Amino acid sequence: MHAVREGDLSQLGPLFDRHHRAVYDFLVRTTGQRAVAEDLVQDVFERVLKYRATYRGESGFLPWLFRIASNARASHYRKLEPTLSWSDELDGEDESAGPERVTEDASEAARLQRALLSLRPDKRELIVLARYSELKYEVIAELLGVDVGTIKVRVHRALKELRDKFHAMEANSHAV
Amino acid sequence: MRCEEISRRLADDLNGTLDDVERAELRRHIAGCAACRAESDGLGDLWRALGEIPMPPPDSRALRARLDASVRREQQVSRPRHESRFNQWLLAAGIAALALTAGLFLGRVGAPAPASTDVVALREELRDLRHMVALSLMQQQSASERLRGVGWSSRLEGPSDEVVTALIDTLRHDQNVNVRLASIDALKRFAEREDVRRAAVDVLQTQRAPLLQMALIDFVVETQDRDAAAALRRISADTLSDQTVRTRAAWGLEHLGV
Repeated sequence: MHAVREGDLSQLGPLFDRHHRAVYDFLVRTTGQRAVAEDLVQDVFERVLKYRATYRGESGFLPWLFRIASNARASHYRKLEPTLSWSDELDGEDESAGPERVTEDASEAARLQRALLSLRPDKRELIVLARYSELKYEVIAELLGVDVGTIKVRVHRALKELRDKFHAMEANSHAV
Repeated sequence: MRCEEISRRLADDLNGTLDDVERAELRRHIAGCAACRAESDGLGDLWRALGEIPMPPPDSRALRARLDASVRREQQVSRPRHESRFNQWLLAAGIAALALTAGLFLGRVGAPAPASTDVVALREELRDLRHMVALSLMQQQSASERLRGVGWSSRLEGPSDEVVTALIDTLRHDQNVNVRLASIDALKRFAEREDVRRAAVDVLQTQRAPLLQMALIDFVVETQDRDAAAALRRISADTLSDQTVRTRAAWGLEHLGV
């Protein structure tokens, strides 16, 4: 990233190759929409290009990149609520597969992803960062501007809330 | 260890960041405290279930092509303006000169004669230049220029992968509806390609502009793409969608035979 900041824009491609998957993963799990996540990945790397001169590198590239991704997602969803656009894939509602392929595991995964999307954005982001990004709590704390102890407590609380929502959804689905 | 301290320790335990001593301490507490044990088990199950949610992969190739285009644009912007204009002029002049040379040469040699290596080389150079023009136009700021670029791509014989990727990218991301509509027409001749079909279905799922929805419905029916069935079903049932589009989606479902 230091080379990109100094004007060697050809180095942005390798950076993209190395990190775009992690950024996409974060965005698709927090937005629930593949096409939106892909648009936002593009937006994130264009912001990297645009604001390259502001990169200081004090806390490393990844926290800076995820902060940009978080801002890009927040800007996008200022007016919209996230929905799950690949629920068919998770539910196994693929017509060609036939109803016998609709597994309980797939339904559970879809329900859990829906429960995740129903959390407040900051809690959803925190769980996604903690569970999938492979960033240490210390790095997440720096990214979000709070101390590491607070992050651990928040992760714990957010997980409990997610569990409650998930169980409520599960109970509703059985009741139907 | 007290129960109040559990929340931090559990978060560390889930993330695998406890050292041996801390982990042993946590296990000891959990063994003697039913409430904390239930909490630890419940969150552990949830953590594992989160790890099992599958994710659709990104279209990395298209994303990278789009980033490369942004980088090229940025590099052009940082060059002096007159140089950029000069390059455009040079490109146009190059095409004209090549076309003239090829025309003269072909005229002299005559059509029935077998093509010499010179002619083949000239044709290839001309084709490469046309590709460059199409790609360059599709990256312009002005929508009318991008529209011209899509038009150029339709006239290319055997367009490169890069051109098809640029067309897909236009369909997915261009902000102008007319440019996206033109890209659908241009992509029709590549409908056998998996990435083209997938892009059409993806955009159909997310797009709200009625004109685009209509064109995409026609596209998926024309290509008999059954993967679009779920999207068509959703549109036909969506009371917020335009009525004409809903009717067209129902028509599409009938014609796909699903």
